[in-house]
Amino acid sequence: MIVDDALFMRATLRDVFESANWKIIAEASRGEQAIAEYKTYQPDLVIMDIVMPEMGGIDAMKRILADYPDAQIIVCSALGQNNLILEAVNAGARDFIVKPFNRAQVLEVAERVIAE
Amino acid sequence: MDIDKFREMFLIEAAEHLQSMSELLLQLDSDPVDQDGIDALFRDAHSIKGMAATMEHPETTRLAHHLEDHLADCRQAGRISGFEIDWLLEAVDLLELLLDDIRNERSERSVDSFISSNPKSPELSACSGEEIAAVALSVSGQGQLIQLQLQETVVTPGPRFLVLLNTLATLGPVLESTPSMDDLLQGDCSHQLLVRLESDLPQQQIHQQLQQYSELKLITFPDEPEQARPAKKRSMDKTVRVSTELLDHFINLTGELITNRYQLQNALKESNWQDLNEGVGQLARLVKNLHHQVLQVRMVSLESLAGRLSRTVHDLSRSQDKEIQLQIEGADIELDRAIVEGLTDPLIHMVRNAVDHGIEQQGTISIKAWRERDLVMVQVADDGRGIDPEKIRQRALEIGLTNPLQVRTLRNYDLLQLICQPGFSTAEKISETSGRGVGMDVVKTAVERVGGLLSIDSTPGEGTQITLKLPLSLAIIRVLIIESAGGSLAMPIARVVQTIEISPDEVQSSGKQLMIHYQDELLPMLSLRKILKAPKGENLNPIPLVITEVMGRKVGLVVDRLVGQREVFVQRLPPPFDQIRGCSGGTILGNGQIVFLLDLQTLFERRQG
Repeated sequence: MIVDDALFMRATLRDVFESANWKIIAEASRGEQAIAEYKTYQPDLVIMDIVMPEMGGIDAMKRILADYPDAQIIVCSALGQNNLILEAVNAGARDFIVKPFNRAQVLEVAERVIAE
Repeated sequence: MDIDKFREMFLIEAAEHLQSMSELLLQLDSDPVDQDGIDALFRDAHSIKGMAATMEHPETTRLAHHLEDHLADCRQAGRISGFEIDWLLEAVDLLELLLDDIRNERSERSVDSFISSNPKSPELSACSGEEIAAVALSVSGQGQLIQLQLQETVVTPGPRFLVLLNTLATLGPVLESTPSMDDLLQGDCSHQLLVRLESDLPQQQIHQQLQQYSELKLITFPDEPEQARPAKKRSMDKTVRVSTELLDHFINLTGELITNRYQLQNALKESNWQDLNEGVGQLARLVKNLHHQVLQVRMVSLESLAGRLSRTVHDLSRSQDKEIQLQIEGADIELDRAIVEGLTDPLIHMVRNAVDHGIEQQGTISIKAWRERDLVMVQVADDGRGIDPEKIRQRALEIGLTNPLQVRTLRNYDLLQLICQPGFSTAEKISETSGRGVGMDVVKTAVERVGGLLSIDSTPGEGTQITLKLPLSLAIIRVLIIESAGGSLAMPIARVVQTIEISPDEVQSSGKQLMIHYQDELLPMLSLRKILKAPKGENLNPIPLVITEVMGRKVGLVVDRLVGQREVFVQRLPPPFDQIRGCSGGTILGNGQIVFLLDLQTLFERRQG
């Protein structure tokens, strides 16, 4: 599942994953929506943007983890937001990717998290 | 982790526990059924045991363990006997010696004979080696050390390490890491991480797991550094404990200084004189504040001495069968660490003197400390028999300190100061304690070494008071700047009694010696130029004088000019200049001028020698 308020980012990520034979089963552009979608689809992996309008990625992640402690969530953030990433990892994110990202890096992180 | 790093911490903390034990024992001496006191003693012994075992000091551990057992019995009995208190005080002494051994990297002295001297429970002394090992194992030497290094291209080292720590935590508990989890969350961003992981997995498997992270440049499993560690030289006085509150103050002040810098730069760029003026004013305030806080770091309260002094009084009154109360006032007064350390022995000696020579059967010794502007006064007083001036007169004549004529004219107060002359001791019998060849001269020298002045006052039948006038700090002090023989010199304010100017016709002569009237006494008038072996200067009118004390006597020191008082940062002179007598350091004034600190005492020693 991909959560990002920017359509461009969602499209790029979808392309990265699909080209490596992953299946994207859901997308969300808001935190609230992400929580609802997670409940419906219970995906193996979530890529969650940290900075989104209304409910941010960290809060959405916390809400998901509260109900599904085993949720595998990778947060996604722009360069220079180390503090947000720290907060997210401390709150339960399994790993993180930093925008702008390269394909190989994104896939490495995702495969690593799924493998664990 | 290098256990050696903890050694100093261990020494400091163990010393604190010992100090607490002595204080508690002395309190229990007057209230032997104080449960809280016995409990606290037990905890101190227990803490020392745990720390010593961790640090693998078997003798210290054995003794602390033995004390712990003994105190456990006392807890059950609900009381502690006077006999036991004495025995425990001896144990505290022995532990201090053991810490000394550890500090100086000697092998620990044996505690066998002491433990078997315990009248109560010899069989308890067999502390099993297994238990020591068990205590030690729970803290050190466990787990696998892993060293990780990130690629230089990784821009998010902190979060990356946090993820890695989380990953490692799935393999087994992470015992510790450098930087720690908290450091990382606070924004530490080094590219190196050292982890101690407790895991049953073989190294290879941990390595495989970590290899999935292409961000890692190096994964190594270093050996325990313990065997390889070099025997470094350590000294206790090099470390200071600083409260985090104080550190926060420093950070805040630094922040304000940075803001101030930009303010000043801006004002300068815009030639805005008013802002510049305000900025400089603020800078002055910040620097003053910073100075105050920096001084705080080195400050310790006299409290740290109180335990040792109570102990001295306790031991002496036991051994001499006297009933002596010790009162301490103003123990919260703070002084530079180096001064407090330098005062320890002199104060103990003064207290011993008071017990040996002052108090006959029962009495009170009071130690008072108080602030007088930027000086600290410490007074040791007893209500004993006082000092008989006649005896001093006789003694002074005997050892040729003065001639019969002088002896009669000297005022009692000045006579008393003669006690501080080398070789002076009127004690009729040499006691075990104060007769060890350390007289008041040594005490006075020690006080002067930390920049203080000592004076004695005594009334026969009423008691003796010894007063110390001390600077707050050794590094930053208030000085009097004077000029002599074309140069500037500084004198610590603590050494200056007063500055005066007199007209030449107030000078009298007594034989070859010029004298002046100061208050109601006649003081010798000495020329600083002459002391410094400089050519004679022109005659001055009025004559500027510094009233100061040398070798226990007030003198009037003639200088060329009195410049004024200043707060200066005194720096020690590097060798070989530290060998120059009469000069105890140097400082740089605001205008860049170097000024030396005048140490009259050593100058006079040279003159006499």
